[in-house]
Amino acid sequence: MTAHPLPILALTPGDCTGIGPEQTARLLSEGGFDDVARIVVVGDARVLDMGARHAGVRLNLVRYASPGAVDWSAPGIPMVDLGNTDPDLFPLGVANPESGRLTGDTLARAIDFAKAGEVDGVCFAPLNKQAMFRGGWRFPDEHKMFAHLLDHKGPFSEMNVLEGQWMTRVTSHVSLRTALDQVTFDSICGALRLADETMRKAGIARPRIAVAALNPHGGEGGLFGSEEIDFIRPAVEAMAKEGIACEGPFPSDTVYLKAFAGAYDSVLAMYHDQGQIATKLKGFNKGVTITAGLEVVFTTPAHGTAFDIVGKGVADIGAFQSAVRLAARVAARKIEARAAAA
Amino acid sequence: MAPPPALALTLGEPAGIGPDITLAAWLTRQQRSLPAFFAIGDAAVLRRRAAALGLDVPVRACAPEEAAAVFASALPVVSAGPAVTAAPGHPDETSAPSARAAIDDAVALVKAGRATAVVTNPISKAVLYADGFAFPGHTEYLAHLAGTPAPRPVMMIWSPELAVIPATIHVPLADVPRLLTRELIIETARITAHDLRHRFGIEAPRLAICGLNPHAGEEGTLGREDEEVTRPAVEALRQEGIDARGPLPADTLFHAAARATYDAAIGAYHDQVLAPAKALAFDRAVNVTLGLPFVRTSPDHGTAFALAGTGRADPSSLIEALRLAHRLSARDAARSGR
Repeated sequence: MTAHPLPILALTPGDCTGIGPEQTARLLSEGGFDDVARIVVVGDARVLDMGARHAGVRLNLVRYASPGAVDWSAPGIPMVDLGNTDPDLFPLGVANPESGRLTGDTLARAIDFAKAGEVDGVCFAPLNKQAMFRGGWRFPDEHKMFAHLLDHKGPFSEMNVLEGQWMTRVTSHVSLRTALDQVTFDSICGALRLADETMRKAGIARPRIAVAALNPHGGEGGLFGSEEIDFIRPAVEAMAKEGIACEGPFPSDTVYLKAFAGAYDSVLAMYHDQGQIATKLKGFNKGVTITAGLEVVFTTPAHGTAFDIVGKGVADIGAFQSAVRLAARVAARKIEARAAAA
Repeated sequence: MAPPPALALTLGEPAGIGPDITLAAWLTRQQRSLPAFFAIGDAAVLRRRAAALGLDVPVRACAPEEAAAVFASALPVVSAGPAVTAAPGHPDETSAPSARAAIDDAVALVKAGRATAVVTNPISKAVLYADGFAFPGHTEYLAHLAGTPAPRPVMMIWSPELAVIPATIHVPLADVPRLLTRELIIETARITAHDLRHRFGIEAPRLAICGLNPHAGEEGTLGREDEEVTRPAVEALRQEGIDARGPLPADTLFHAAARATYDAAIGAYHDQVLAPAKALAFDRAVNVTLGLPFVRTSPDHGTAFALAGTGRADPSSLIEALRLAHRLSARDAARSGR
């Protein structure tokens, strides 16, 4: 077996008004990723300096023009200094459209490096969706922005990962009425294929996926809605025939309890609140969000910018570290698969 | 002096787990300091079920007024309905009349002051419908028996961790955006606030009203109902002096810090609030009917025919239902000077 080169991950510090910079500084200072990935920071050095001050750590940043130019044998933390974000212009803990715009610009640069083949994945510290939207990145969430920038045409979605469990949804940030229109035989099949493929790429050989029902009590035999009979169960059965280990639909007020008890690796929700209520209660904000279905790996801690604790140096980095490890794992498997195919 | 009245517990569907959990609950009376209750139904069903389960439970037929004195040494039963022939797991033609007679008698007794509250074991809607029962469910039937005009009942799922009320209940999710009206939210919240104040003793109940859409519609960008229906309803409630807040994003409403900010959460639809209720208090959640002239609670599960007579039925929810009914009716009694 040949040793493959470690994947290269671009690390972006997220919105400079939030806890991202201090988390990024602490994560780099603690290190511990040398055997799983090569990390290059893409962002503004002034933001990293501020983060280091807040976290009370020192960083030895070494500037390069691009990730492709990094000398990985040299000491220090490699960084592509975009010089685009002066953190002194933005009060901490307050969403700001301009810093939102710059957060998006920085991510777009990291994506450019990925498109050029200079990085294998992007791991980003928390951003503020509203600030990005108001700053001109007019996407309901960052996943749609990434797909757009990558000119991605196929299916994609976000998955929330905690302790080996992967949660996903058929529909996302749309009204409940729209979600009801978007839940179809095809969209359920697509979501199941995507979840199965994404989890396999992360090294889960045969992911067991539970599918949530749409109606109360799963429709109770058609008494409170017929979607389960008309197309949810047929979709689950069709995908099971294709070899996906999926089961359901199950009443959504108990399906997550079964999964959390270990019966499944994943639950597919039909709509936003169905998934989010259960996973947030379970503490999935300590987990990782991964964008499934894109050519480039994207991961981020599932929590937000935590405006109430910014600058205090107390922000926990557990979820961010998990995000780096997950991106490294998925990117490494991709490198292996590419080498095997070559 | 007349002995204090006890709680009336209907046996429910006799072929379901009602008899099993009634026996199991009585056995915990000392350990869990259970309030005195009497079962209503066919005493022979309880005797046969106790024998089948190998439980040492003396069953004694008595009048409601004798129940409190009997309770320490035997399970008191007030007879109602026909002699039941249904075997565990197999409802027959005696099932529906038995289940129904128990509800009728329980309501009559509580209205006459001969029982403190009504606690109901699960019934089978399918079995009752086949017998010509013309009400959507248990709760609507109780409301019908409660008085004329029938009061509007509101279902609350209660546990010490979380109290929730779904504004719409057993309807297709696709109908919810149409059914969720200003009037429905206002009426549901009024009844909830009233009963939280008078039955639960919460001076100024705080109500959290969930948004219908993700992130409560994000100012109208993810659906208009939260701005056009829910927000005006909340404003109208606040004008009446009810401490309602909303529309609130449902996915950030159920962690401990958020729960500390309200006494009950009103959801737009069933799964929005039943899912967190089950996650936080799976087998201890109790179904409470608000809006009735008497206290009614029930365990938050069904007849579980497959478990009847097996000894595997869990009485936890019934035990909590009995305890809560006692707590709520004690306050009722204190207010009415009984």
